[in-house]
Amino acid sequence: MRFVATQRIAPAPPPRDAAGWRARLRLRLFRSAGSSIVTIALALAGALLAWRLFTWGVRDALFANHGPEACRAPGVGACWAVVGEKLRLILFGIYPYAQQWRAGCAVLLVVAMLALSTLRRLWHWPLLLAWASVLALYGVLMWGGVFGLSYVPDDQWGGLPVTLILATLGLAAGFPLAIGLALLRHSPRRGIGKAFAVAYIELTRSVPLLAVLFFASVMIPLFLPQGWDVSKLLRVLLAFAGFIAAYLAEVVRGGLQSIPKGQLEAAAALGLSRTVTTLRIVLPQALSAVIPAIVNVFIAFFKATSIVVVVGIFDLMTAANRAAADAVWQGFGTEIYLFVAAVYFAFCSAMSWYSARLQRTLPARGAP
Amino acid sequence: MTHPILRIDGLNKWYGTHHALRQIDLALAAQERIVICGPSGSGKSSLIRCINGIEPFETGSVQVCGTTLTPAGGDLVAVRRQVGMVFQQYNLFPHLTALQNCTLGPVSTRRLSERDAQAAALALLERVRVAEHAHKLPAQLSGGQQQRVAIARALCMQPALMLFDEPTSSLDPEMVKEVLDTMVALAQSGMSMLCVTHEMGFARQVADRIVFMDDGQILEIAPPHEFFGSPQHERTRAFLGDVLRH
Repeated sequence: MRFVATQRIAPAPPPRDAAGWRARLRLRLFRSAGSSIVTIALALAGALLAWRLFTWGVRDALFANHGPEACRAPGVGACWAVVGEKLRLILFGIYPYAQQWRAGCAVLLVVAMLALSTLRRLWHWPLLLAWASVLALYGVLMWGGVFGLSYVPDDQWGGLPVTLILATLGLAAGFPLAIGLALLRHSPRRGIGKAFAVAYIELTRSVPLLAVLFFASVMIPLFLPQGWDVSKLLRVLLAFAGFIAAYLAEVVRGGLQSIPKGQLEAAAALGLSRTVTTLRIVLPQALSAVIPAIVNVFIAFFKATSIVVVVGIFDLMTAANRAAADAVWQGFGTEIYLFVAAVYFAFCSAMSWYSARLQRTLPARGAP
Repeated sequence: MTHPILRIDGLNKWYGTHHALRQIDLALAAQERIVICGPSGSGKSSLIRCINGIEPFETGSVQVCGTTLTPAGGDLVAVRRQVGMVFQQYNLFPHLTALQNCTLGPVSTRRLSERDAQAAALALLERVRVAEHAHKLPAQLSGGQQQRVAIARALCMQPALMLFDEPTSSLDPEMVKEVLDTMVALAQSGMSMLCVTHEMGFARQVADRIVFMDDGQILEIAPPHEFFGSPQHERTRAFLGDVLRH
């Protein structure tokens, strides 16, 4: 039998009932009787939950502040007034009340800088300079003691500025450290450097963060000579960065392992130095391969900053606890914690949204 | 023979206890084209990878353009500056555009300005006929286009000798020709070339001498008409019988 095509078959659109949202909906949610029942049951439960939340959080809620007694009246839902009442305590902790505009400015400054840093066309050396100046400015605003600003020691800092600086500086200092550790550990050459990296990573990962923080806040001062004093915030910050580095290093090492040998051979054949090969060939590919895992660590540690409450640092979570403990406004902890959760959610979801976008826009690791 | 630009003397290489390259002696004159063929596992690739120091070897020496590599090492930077290499799997840098692939080497090792390196790279991409894809990433190019970019990338370093490690072996049949045409044009321009390939048509057309290897050993070296017309070693005859019987 012989067949020879006599005409070209023109491309046609797919049949209507195979595409479109109706078809997809039917396929995914109402494929069988069982699936339809589950779909309807879950939809009803979801609707009920949404309605309860709406009546409590919006319809019956009190937004205006008429004192705690108004909130305790029967039939009143959420008492958002408490968030307004305690807003400055939650956001700025025990920072001197009259000076809290400085803490506010510091927060805005860091947030603006974080937002700017997401723009890839700004990824040049000036960005590092800008960060250095922003951090300096943060210090000036928060500590004061110059330009007519009154001095506020860092054991009086609190709330969002502390959480932000712990997370930002902890991650920013931990990240380069992690890359260094990962490169050392991944190196084929055995030596002191590699042994150190392995020991550091394994030891740090096998100790709870809590223990590391206690060590930093309680033990280190015992070892320092009399009169030497490093502020507790700084000690905790360093401990945090060192702890993050150990976890991130393993993530980065995973990325390093994903680089095919051929890439190194091509770089060698071109005569590229080890430094150029690492900076221009290996790291860009390794890091972009593990963006999801890196962001995972970032998000985990952003929230882990709340652990510093145990060593008496006044971060966002500590401030929320303090606000919820007010005897006058007792019983409205839910509202306060929901508000704090929303703040954490805003930062964490921004990170995961940005990581998704970064993965889409970075040049693909396109092996054919 | 004029003074050789590549000279391999008594080279031996082992993978563990496996004697992969046995007593290799080979010289390549300036502007000479040598094709190395042989069955897979015969040590062809290992041999050319020893030339630019990507693989170490245990005894013997390699001299390239006045620089000597020995088992103890040698000036790898000087050798790699003189020797370009094209791989079977292209090995382009996937996060860089075709043009950036070509300029990274010259800018970072030959201290060329970005502008000069780009001009030179574009001229070479033009020469291998992929200039219109200069700003695409490797993943956006076909295999044949990627391999031609890889050739341009090696040429950007202005090598005195080009090594080809089975450059067409992972290409679809339709794309083999475009890469071979590029290599023929390169040969005609007077480039010294050492090619490991199974493309016997290319060998016949371009090679000055053909080297047949089996089991880590050079069994026969002959000009193409003698190699194909009257192969002397029985293994060569068997190999050619298998390769040329279509």
